[in-house]
Amino acid sequence: MLSGVSVICFAASYTVALVLEVSRLLFRSGVRGAVMMAFAGGGLLAHSVFLYYRAVSSTASPLSSQQDWFLIAAWVLVAVYLYLVYYHPKNAFGLFILPLVLGLIATACLFADPQPYAHEPASKVWGMIHGTSILMGVVAVLIGFVAGLMYLSQARRLKHKLPPTRGFNLPSLEWLQGANSRAIVISVLMLGVGVLSGMILNRIKGQPDVAPLPWTDPVVLSTTLMFAWLLVASGITLVYRPARIGHKVAYLTLASFVFLMIALGVGLLLETQHGSPRDEQDRSQVEDTVSGGFPLGCGGRGGRA
Amino acid sequence: MNVQVVGCSHHDTPIAIRERLAFSAEQTREALDQLRRVFRHVEVVLLSTCNRVEVYTAAEGVELPSGEQIAEFLARFHGIEATELLPYLYQHGAGDAVDHLFVVSCSLDSMVIGENQILSQVKQAYQSATDQDTTGPLTHTLFQAALHVARRVAAETAIHAHRVSIPSVAVADFAKQIFESFEEKKTLVIGAGEMGEETLRYLQDEGVHDITVVNRSPGRATELAERWQGKARPWEELSEAVAEADLVISTTGSGEPVMTLEDFRGIESHLRRPLFILDLAVPRDFDPAIGERADVYLYSVDDLQAACAKNRTERDKELPAAMSIVRQEAGRFMADLHHRATGPVIEQLRKGWQKPKEEELARLLNKLTDLDEGSREEVRRSFDRLVNKLLHPPLESLRDESRHGIPHTLLDALSRLFKLRD
Repeated sequence: MLSGVSVICFAASYTVALVLEVSRLLFRSGVRGAVMMAFAGGGLLAHSVFLYYRAVSSTASPLSSQQDWFLIAAWVLVAVYLYLVYYHPKNAFGLFILPLVLGLIATACLFADPQPYAHEPASKVWGMIHGTSILMGVVAVLIGFVAGLMYLSQARRLKHKLPPTRGFNLPSLEWLQGANSRAIVISVLMLGVGVLSGMILNRIKGQPDVAPLPWTDPVVLSTTLMFAWLLVASGITLVYRPARIGHKVAYLTLASFVFLMIALGVGLLLETQHGSPRDEQDRSQVEDTVSGGFPLGCGGRGGRA
Repeated sequence: MNVQVVGCSHHDTPIAIRERLAFSAEQTREALDQLRRVFRHVEVVLLSTCNRVEVYTAAEGVELPSGEQIAEFLARFHGIEATELLPYLYQHGAGDAVDHLFVVSCSLDSMVIGENQILSQVKQAYQSATDQDTTGPLTHTLFQAALHVARRVAAETAIHAHRVSIPSVAVADFAKQIFESFEEKKTLVIGAGEMGEETLRYLQDEGVHDITVVNRSPGRATELAERWQGKARPWEELSEAVAEADLVISTTGSGEPVMTLEDFRGIESHLRRPLFILDLAVPRDFDPAIGERADVYLYSVDDLQAACAKNRTERDKELPAAMSIVRQEAGRFMADLHHRATGPVIEQLRKGWQKPKEEELARLLNKLTDLDEGSREEVRRSFDRLVNKLLHPPLESLRDESRHGIPHTLLDALSRLFKLRD
């Protein structure tokens, strides 16, 4: 029965949680926090069940499609949101995180490719390391982006000498600055592992009978560009002390988000061989899996060209 | 059953009288001890703050001390003339006394409405009275209800959320929005203004302990530094001290800015974290252009006053909701209090119906000897239900009538109808 859970279930729960977050700006309520957490928590549960059934019903590597990747990123962000709301109930984290979550889910439904990436025994472990680390790196960039936006919003209020607005409490600048710095460090580490494991993966795949992924592939190029930017950003914060404080670190995380958008946009919109089956065995496995269908509840972009 | 309050507050009583009437903790204990001896069988709680002195008395079946008696006691205790005191005293009885305590506990009658201190002062007053054994069932119920109402108002309205004094706004609405914790923050105090000291007190409550004082007069700097357990630095090191600080409070009486934009540019590259500057001096100590620099948050007295005014408006919007909670809770409290007065009649009614029920039940069960234990139990339950149903309408009428006061007429009617003894 639980296998009937669709994207609509958890997306609707997150939307209600977001509406409740927005209602903080309008009126006070003693029970809203609990209701908001119940909706977000319920959504996360449905989201987990959905991903579980998707993983067990796949004949390819579990949760290895572009669509899954976006949905897992959304899942991690919701988990982070629930953690933050539990420990900092007065702060309006949801106003910043939940739109991103819904954006990721919408992208998964409307643009992302539902076909699982090809896999082969020799590359399965490296494939998982590659996918997980890139995913965590991207989530870290997204969290850094949220912290950066919150920082700029809080700093703007303080510069304009305005007392806090009802329902729009934000963490202190010091807390947000710490979150920004940590997000940069974590994202650079995770993406570093992701890029390195991707290179190993490509080397393994580069057997005589399998064509390796070209370095000029748009996804490879844009991901490398993002990683290079993050490397530079963390290098700047390491060497140049003023970049570690205040607005500058917030701007670095916002710039990282722009690079992330470029990388994701390239992956979604341009022709790429990244993750595509490049031999006949892979191709037939992927086709078998896709023809099985998923209880997504909304359409995906369909197969790759 | 009676409750009353006699006292004076900042509304009508000049500070000269209030400060003479104020009780220290030791005096409170002594006064309660004396009151217990003078007014036997009367429960007493004494609330003394810098803005009010109030004596709450309550008793059941005993006459409460009059306003004059309380005034005489207060005057005698503090060695002043009762006639000097009487014009300022107010006296509220029963429902009004309950309303008053609830309003006071919720900080709706404070000089700074919404300030948090009063609740702990009410708690302290109640605790002292309990320790001195001058409380009883009535004052326990009354003060516990007052604390409950205050908690409800705090939870359901934002009356306490809006600070309206300059130091509290500076710390709660601005400093705490910049810094997550204050333990390791370096605070620099420039000058020796009174508002600076008050702000420092708030900051110390938040954990600030690394304090540096810079003053044109080295002697004054050392004196202040000793008072605040900080260190003094010479005036010539002002720029270095600002560069090392996280928070700056400036309250000099200087006619010229103590730091210009040019001075600030010289130290800007040494800043380690966002810098919070409270310029409480008039004329201002810091060039306002410094506030335009990135990661510098500069607030003048005017800025803080504007924030206070905005908070005051926001807080005033919360007042109707807070008063509505107080009225609702006071009404409920009085209804419960009145309903308690009907307790003996209800008890007699129940007992009066219980006896014939038991007799009839025994008679019936003696006749129905064939019944097994389960069936006998069912019959017993049936009789209980019947009595409860018959009692329900008069009890409900009593509860309804209690909302408007002790229902003497109804109690009398019930006593006569059912021949209840006193």
